[in-house]
Amino acid sequence: MKTIKAEFSLRNLFVLILILSSLSIVQTKALFAYDEHSGQTIEPVITEPQSEGARIVSKFKYKPIEFTPPKPERLVLDNGMILYLLEDYDLPVFRITASFRTGAVYEPKEKAGLANLVGSVMRRGGTKTRTPEQMNEELEFIAASVETQIGRESGGASLSTMKKDIDKGLEIFADVLMNPAFPEVMIRKEKDEILEEIRRENDNPGQIIFREFRKLLYKADHPYSRKTVGYKDTIEKITREDMVAFHEKYFNPNNIIMGISGDFDTQEIIKKIKTVFAKWEKVEIDFPKVLSVEKEFQKSTNYIYKDVNQAHVVFGHHGIHRLSKDYFPIKILSFILGSGGFTSRIPSKVRSDEGLAYSAYSGFHTPRDIGFFFVSCQTKSESTVKAISLALDEVRKIREGYVDDDELELAKDTFINQFIFQFTSSASIVGQMVEIEYEGLPLDYLETYVDNIKVITREDIARVAKEYLHPDKIKLLVIGDMKQFDKPLTEFGEVNTIELD
Amino acid sequence: MKILRVRFLLISIILFFCATAYGQKLKLDVREHTLDNGIKLLMLEKHDVPIVSLRIVYKVGSVNEHPGITGASHLFEHMMFKGTEIFGIKDYESEKPLLEMEDELVSGIAVEKAKGTDTGKEKIKQLEEELEEVWRKQKELIVKDEMWSIYLKNGATGLNASTGNDATYYYCNLPANKLELWAFMESDRMKNLVLREFYSERDVVMEERRLRTENSPFGLLIEQLNAATFTAHPYGWPVIGWMSDIANMKKAEVAKYFQQYYSPNNAVIVVVGDINPDEVIKLIEKYFGDIQRQPPPPEVTTVEPEQRGERRVYVEYDANPVLSIAYHKPEVGHPDQYVFDVISAILSNGRTSRLYKSLIEEKRIAVMAHAYGGPSKYADSFIFFCSPRHPNTAEDVEEAIYEELEKLKTTPVTASELQKIKNQLEASFIRSLESASGLASEISSYEAISGWRYINTLVEKTIAVTPEDIMRVANKYFTKTNRTVAILVNKNEGKELTDENNKS
Repeated sequence: MKTIKAEFSLRNLFVLILILSSLSIVQTKALFAYDEHSGQTIEPVITEPQSEGARIVSKFKYKPIEFTPPKPERLVLDNGMILYLLEDYDLPVFRITASFRTGAVYEPKEKAGLANLVGSVMRRGGTKTRTPEQMNEELEFIAASVETQIGRESGGASLSTMKKDIDKGLEIFADVLMNPAFPEVMIRKEKDEILEEIRRENDNPGQIIFREFRKLLYKADHPYSRKTVGYKDTIEKITREDMVAFHEKYFNPNNIIMGISGDFDTQEIIKKIKTVFAKWEKVEIDFPKVLSVEKEFQKSTNYIYKDVNQAHVVFGHHGIHRLSKDYFPIKILSFILGSGGFTSRIPSKVRSDEGLAYSAYSGFHTPRDIGFFFVSCQTKSESTVKAISLALDEVRKIREGYVDDDELELAKDTFINQFIFQFTSSASIVGQMVEIEYEGLPLDYLETYVDNIKVITREDIARVAKEYLHPDKIKLLVIGDMKQFDKPLTEFGEVNTIELD
Repeated sequence: MKILRVRFLLISIILFFCATAYGQKLKLDVREHTLDNGIKLLMLEKHDVPIVSLRIVYKVGSVNEHPGITGASHLFEHMMFKGTEIFGIKDYESEKPLLEMEDELVSGIAVEKAKGTDTGKEKIKQLEEELEEVWRKQKELIVKDEMWSIYLKNGATGLNASTGNDATYYYCNLPANKLELWAFMESDRMKNLVLREFYSERDVVMEERRLRTENSPFGLLIEQLNAATFTAHPYGWPVIGWMSDIANMKKAEVAKYFQQYYSPNNAVIVVVGDINPDEVIKLIEKYFGDIQRQPPPPEVTTVEPEQRGERRVYVEYDANPVLSIAYHKPEVGHPDQYVFDVISAILSNGRTSRLYKSLIEEKRIAVMAHAYGGPSKYADSFIFFCSPRHPNTAEDVEEAIYEELEKLKTTPVTASELQKIKNQLEASFIRSLESASGLASEISSYEAISGWRYINTLVEKTIAVTPEDIMRVANKYFTKTNRTVAILVNKNEGKELTDENNKS
């Protein structure tokens, strides 16, 4: 969700890596533009250069870029597996990324955490013929990896290996997907570690805020309101039988989209895939019905006490799903308002002008059903209400009138010119095709992407701003120490205090 | 298990004979060119996609600071995005007097505040009002974050900067045809930087410190660990700086810092991607060639004295316990560094690593355990981090880590374990060649601390590490006398305990 780019400072670079891996903050991929027809970047229009420097660079001429991104081959096997294949002989490496239609949304409420647990123990617990120790040794000795995970709305599996070990890699990859053992001892270990993770989930305000924000946005019976790792009591209710059944239900060939890239011959690899997955048979899957999100815009002001000297703030309301017809204008609106880095309105005001936050941004979270619009920032306790008011004002302002031409041009040029970076590796090329098909987007999504960006006008922005932003109906959540705030939170309405578990 | 070992032995022998059978040499063909003014230009061609990854590295970091101005390097890094005499401002000539007035008013306020008299208070109020007025006028001239938006419009990705102990890095990836834009803007930043919006940015950095350090259990613990590990050497203070130093940082100090360290002879430019090196040289000469060389920046001469005994630090905070341990180790270029690279891989690389197997899978006393000891320019530390699993304590996991270190001292690591590390090292070298951006960052960071050529000997030197080397190094450095332990303790649990004690 955090897509802002900002400078960072580190005691040592590894600290970031450690923190990322230990807290499993998921890096989110932003979607950018693609222009397959021309494969060229465009000359940005600098609407009216305001500085001498801008005037100078606006006269620079650049050689056009000739680049046709390679197009992966799409194939459907008899058992229903969908494959995207892209040969790339530059380096002796091989990769698979696969998506499964599954997720925590399909687990019963009283067994919350089931999908996540299946996703981890599938790999960690070994298979019917390979102990975990055996598998770990086999893979790591050849510097290969096989990983699986299940999130809120999808499951994923990956394989990475050197070219010379493709056969071994594929064999283990298929074994993990088809024959996980789910040994009781490993289930217990994983559960205990998740319980420890739950014990630690209030240690950092950054971990608390979106978890609690979801509970404000979605009704308790909707899976969007729940934690995907589950809860103390639900985790204990999950049995091995539940896990085996969950795996059997969703891990089927007709439920997978696989992106394959690297140094291989397509015909040969198809043969190999067919061989390792020979025993995997098509099964009709009866997906449980997931409750629809009921859109609602009920204002509320919420507060959580934490002994810190900086308030963590989030506010927002229901938004759109990924397949909304207004996805593109909203993407541009979001860039102008708060997801485009320093020059977006919210960071520009709250961070750059006022120095009130290191990180201040907004975004639209767009899952399969109704997601949410949000603004988030962290500011010293003494400027909490001021920072919230400034950010909220920006949401109000963007609904009045039209955005400036240069703001619109900046957003559009950025997406179009960054487009080429979507193709920097064959793995990312097949990876995004897997994602596009999984999301249910049109398969020519990339081919039409640039045109979809180009056609957006300031009238479109004005329309979606009015339709999808409701600054007077926000749910506000503040974590911090109220006693130190500059003004009481009642400025925004009656305050509801939330006690942490 | 036995059968496995035999199989591994076989595999390892086969691999040994075809260790470089990937059809890929494990070296980078970097082309080097040095300008007359001392700028070092490093280029690597990679023609698969028409993009270019650009880095500019200034060999200055928190290690070059001194008490009172800790955090200056990092604050300066933020200032680099605020523009120059021709970027980020409509008319610099009109801004200049305002910047001078800003300096005068700020020092005036500081003088009055130091006096602390009642009449001073009114004076302060008046000066602050004048300052606000200067800022209001300046704002009318400022073109907000213009350099940033020009880069974005031209398709830049990965726009960022980072400050470390040893160096400051500026990142940018662009479509390959936009190289000239970068050369023009970056050379202008080196020549004509203006310390604009300094005070609001100083506030931003204080927020950054609150976010990353003061309200982060991990950040807080690392800061205290380093502060206790180093008593003399500047690696002891945080890169972001102590809060009071940031709060009192003067523009003049930062300006002096810029003069001293942001000179061409202290800078490295790294260009990786779809380039013609001869053209790149011409372009860089054209835009950077006229910048004046400066006197070489002062050397860091402070050496951390030998540690004379274990140090233990407790950090009380509203969070669950975390353990950290640091052992002093030598600087980059010392032969033992390669041994530490192998040790950290054996201990914490993957599911077969010793810490994972022992602390998480077998003893089940921890949920996270990491060891890290990468190279730095000066002697630094080999660090452990571990989160215990309740009800096991930080002390429990500490003991378990020492057990693993004892094993390293007394039992030679197996041939297959070593072979595994070597295989992983070679594979990761090959995988690193996939990304222009990753390569540019790698070349930059090694050039900053040692020289990019370090990369080309890294694999062979690491592969040469023997089981005996590991035992020797473990015995030499992993001693009680040489270690500092910092533990994050839950202050609320402490309170409950005290309350109970008081009751009884």
